[in-house]
Amino acid sequence: MILLCGIPTESPLALVSKALDKHDVPYVLLNQRKFSIMKAQLEISGGRASGKLQMNGDSYQLDDFSAVFSRLMDYRFLPEIKDTPEDSPDRQLGRNLFDTLTRWAEITPARVVNRMAPMGSNFSKPFQAQLIRRYGFEVPETLITNDPELVREFKARHGRVIYKSISGVRSIVQTLTDEDMTRLDNIRWCPTQFQAFVEGTNVRVHTVGQKVFATAISTEATDYRYAHRQSGDYAELREVQLSDELSEMCVNLTEGLGLAFAGIDLKVTPENHVYCFEVNPSPAFSYYESSTGQPISEAVAGYLAGN
Amino acid sequence: MWLMICSEQDPSALWAYHGLQARGLRPFQLVTAEMLAQDAKWEHSVGVNGAYINITLADGRVINNRMVRGVVNRLTHVPLQHFAGASDYEYAVQEYTALFMSWLNVLPRPIFNTVNAQGLAGAWRHVSEWVWLAAKAGLPTPVYSQTSHDEIDESVELRRIVPEGTRTTMAITVGDRVFGPFLPQSVRTGCCELARISQTPMLGVELAYSQETNSWLFAGATPMPDLRLGGEPLLDVLAVKLFHREGGDQS
Repeated sequence: MILLCGIPTESPLALVSKALDKHDVPYVLLNQRKFSIMKAQLEISGGRASGKLQMNGDSYQLDDFSAVFSRLMDYRFLPEIKDTPEDSPDRQLGRNLFDTLTRWAEITPARVVNRMAPMGSNFSKPFQAQLIRRYGFEVPETLITNDPELVREFKARHGRVIYKSISGVRSIVQTLTDEDMTRLDNIRWCPTQFQAFVEGTNVRVHTVGQKVFATAISTEATDYRYAHRQSGDYAELREVQLSDELSEMCVNLTEGLGLAFAGIDLKVTPENHVYCFEVNPSPAFSYYESSTGQPISEAVAGYLAGN
Repeated sequence: MWLMICSEQDPSALWAYHGLQARGLRPFQLVTAEMLAQDAKWEHSVGVNGAYINITLADGRVINNRMVRGVVNRLTHVPLQHFAGASDYEYAVQEYTALFMSWLNVLPRPIFNTVNAQGLAGAWRHVSEWVWLAAKAGLPTPVYSQTSHDEIDESVELRRIVPEGTRTTMAITVGDRVFGPFLPQSVRTGCCELARISQTPMLGVELAYSQETNSWLFAGATPMPDLRLGGEPLLDVLAVKLFHREGGDQS
């Protein structure tokens, strides 16, 4: 049995659910918004985790779940919770359900897409970049500083430079403009991340177990996710094939970070250098699947089913 | 140089700093979280040639990864109280924490303990995961239970796995050595194994002793033990490991 967790209408979850339906693979769908009528129980004894999940009038043994696809959102932002007082019973229940399921997912021998602990590397981009280098990828020249003079030197050395957050918060990539240079003193209060711009083609690679799906993105924007806002045009996506060697590197990187499923952001230069910017452990793959027809959700469903 | 990186509110780290310095580790620099979070000049790079850190503290001292021979790292968070109330306070906390994750990862080994995707000085694991790991390490563990209807808010209260009031003691591992209370060999071996599989070379293992059954029971673990509980013998071994570049996280 497979357990899907999250908001059923959220696109990635809905697509995986649909793919499982298509292949008649049995699964249980946990609708996080109905937390108030669910009950989860976890027990750990002698290094073995077991327990029970009760919902919709049914009861499931946690041991019976051979795979989990978790798109659980931060319970604090659930519509049913976000406006409730800190000490409200609903908030406590939402938190405890989230917590109990998460604790179990961290240690169950089931296939989990993805566990929380390895997702942590994505919290710090330069930290993750150091891990990425170990798997043979190039990473862009990056400077994090609160010294405006060092930024001026960095820009003089690299020409076009972008800046973006160090963490995953407000993660929009922007080109460092002449106007930005006039207000560089603002970085003194908080170190900021600058990166040499890499010319080339953006490629998003989704890895699912050993399967690899690559999408090339054409846009004039600095950050293709915000192409319309930054350039006025929408990004164009098309399926591309990676070399066997590069596919293997992507799979190794995903596995090495402890993930079963990842969205890897690459840029391939005209000289065929491959830069890796980031590994997203909870990729919103539906955008790529709907644009290219790549069967990513089918691959996730297959992985969950043990294929 | 060697580094002690800790909060200025961490008396155990300050005790260890003076003790290690007295054992001849010089220059041994005390770098507090507060120094790093206020008026420090940061230069951290990552690129094709690897990663580099150069921090100039307000007192003029420079921390450069190429000069470092070993580290005791006790950072739990970045103290940014001086930004409290600012509109971008939460953002600053996230950004500084992400920066700290990265620069700490540049420091050469040995480090007791190194940064991890789950914590600045080793992984902060939930007690449920510690119980699970402890059993795998061969330590006797209690049965752990948790439900969605428990009346506990773990954001303000730690979940305990032994009854309230149970007397416990703390053993501390430093690599393959165990300090603190006298323990049977099997428990010592279990503590070292727990440190190994949790990739936390300096690990505090909380244990409860039952006189009735003359047995020890795992009660918790932390990557931030009070080092004073290990006493001078702990510092002796830690000094040797730092000086000879032994142990710690070698990854």
